[in-house]
Amino acid sequence: MVVKLYGFTTSTCTLRVAVVLKEKNVPFEFIPVDLLKGAHKAPEFTAHQPFGQVPYIDDNGLILYESRAIGRYIAAKYASQGTPLLPTDPTAFAFFEQAASIETSNYEPFVSGLAWELKFTMWFGGKTDEARAKSLQGQLSAKLDVYDAILGKQKYLAGNDITLADLFHLPYGAVLLDIGLDEFSSRPNVARWWKDISSRASWEAVKGGI
Amino acid sequence: MVLKIHGHAIAPLVRLVAEVCREKEVPYELVNVEVYKGEHKTPAFQEFQPFGQVPYIDDDGFVLYESRAICRYIAKKYASQGTPNLVPHEPKAEAIFEQAVSIETSNFHPFALGITVEKIIKKHRGLEPNEARLSDLVNNLKAKLDVYEVILGKQAYLAGSNITLADLFHLPYGTIVFEELGYDMLEDRPNVARWWKDITARPSWLAVKAKA
Repeated sequence: MVVKLYGFTTSTCTLRVAVVLKEKNVPFEFIPVDLLKGAHKAPEFTAHQPFGQVPYIDDNGLILYESRAIGRYIAAKYASQGTPLLPTDPTAFAFFEQAASIETSNYEPFVSGLAWELKFTMWFGGKTDEARAKSLQGQLSAKLDVYDAILGKQKYLAGNDITLADLFHLPYGAVLLDIGLDEFSSRPNVARWWKDISSRASWEAVKGGI
Repeated sequence: MVLKIHGHAIAPLVRLVAEVCREKEVPYELVNVEVYKGEHKTPAFQEFQPFGQVPYIDDDGFVLYESRAICRYIAKKYASQGTPNLVPHEPKAEAIFEQAVSIETSNFHPFALGITVEKIIKKHRGLEPNEARLSDLVNNLKAKLDVYEVILGKQAYLAGSNITLADLFHLPYGTIVFEELGYDMLEDRPNVARWWKDITARPSWLAVKAKA
């Protein structure tokens, strides 16, 4: 039975899983969850994803949520097909874990906060907290200066091979570019890296929505 | 050569790494970084940790940063000693473990860290907390812990019947929020309270709290 991906067509976290499935050539069935009708808060949904968030997968009865966990599961289970996304060498793997953690602590909080303030809060009747947006942008800018230094020495965040850690940056990076916040182009190594990862066929296939 | 943890003893994520070293019976030396003098922002420090943050480790010349990555590295390298299966290997158990680790980073850490910033870090910098933001953070964390209550009603730990890194990752900022700042979020959540009492009673954590 094909992997079932329950999510929202353009949701950042749903796309984070979709790009990994594509990169690993894993066929999947997409089952849309109607967020606007609150389907993700209904008991039938929270029975599988208790935080009431998208996405989750059903892999032949194994239910898994948290997009990065799903990405890791797919990359490990299908290690022998598609693009290798998890190193096997222990040292390289330690650098992968470092890169994966860089994404969750030094990128995600700022890009998701900005995406909320500058785009998503309006969907729920809120308005931009300008002070918070400015603070987040300043912090993101400082972090990306460090990315530029790291990516000046190596091709990707964990070394010279692409890993899951790079792909995990795509959804929120794309949201910010879409609303006109470009912190990548002015930093030559970040720009090179972003161009590389965002032009992959796997991302092109899903970035407009599943 | 003994593993070196570079950081200062009271930094939450330095304590996390020390805790996991103790769980895995790995001796370590804490090399003090003068953060109050800005040592972590100097070029000499940033050569090893480019984000200017603590901790980083030096394992006989192998330098690694990001505390959760360091903990995973220690747990894997010393898999056969100390507390077992802090990172499970069996594919299904590993998947559920990764789910639990991600729960901590997305559904716990941002709120616990945010509360710490408002109530402690801002104070150090002579700034007032943003009360509206603090209130939001507290309410969000409580809502997340309601879900933890459901999960921990079915199993002893976040990834199943056995303790893993996913549980331990909650120790530093959980201690700040529930103990140091005194937010009572456990009394109405008996399963969370049970789990919190269990993980905070571990000798490794108690040793680190006494002296990292």
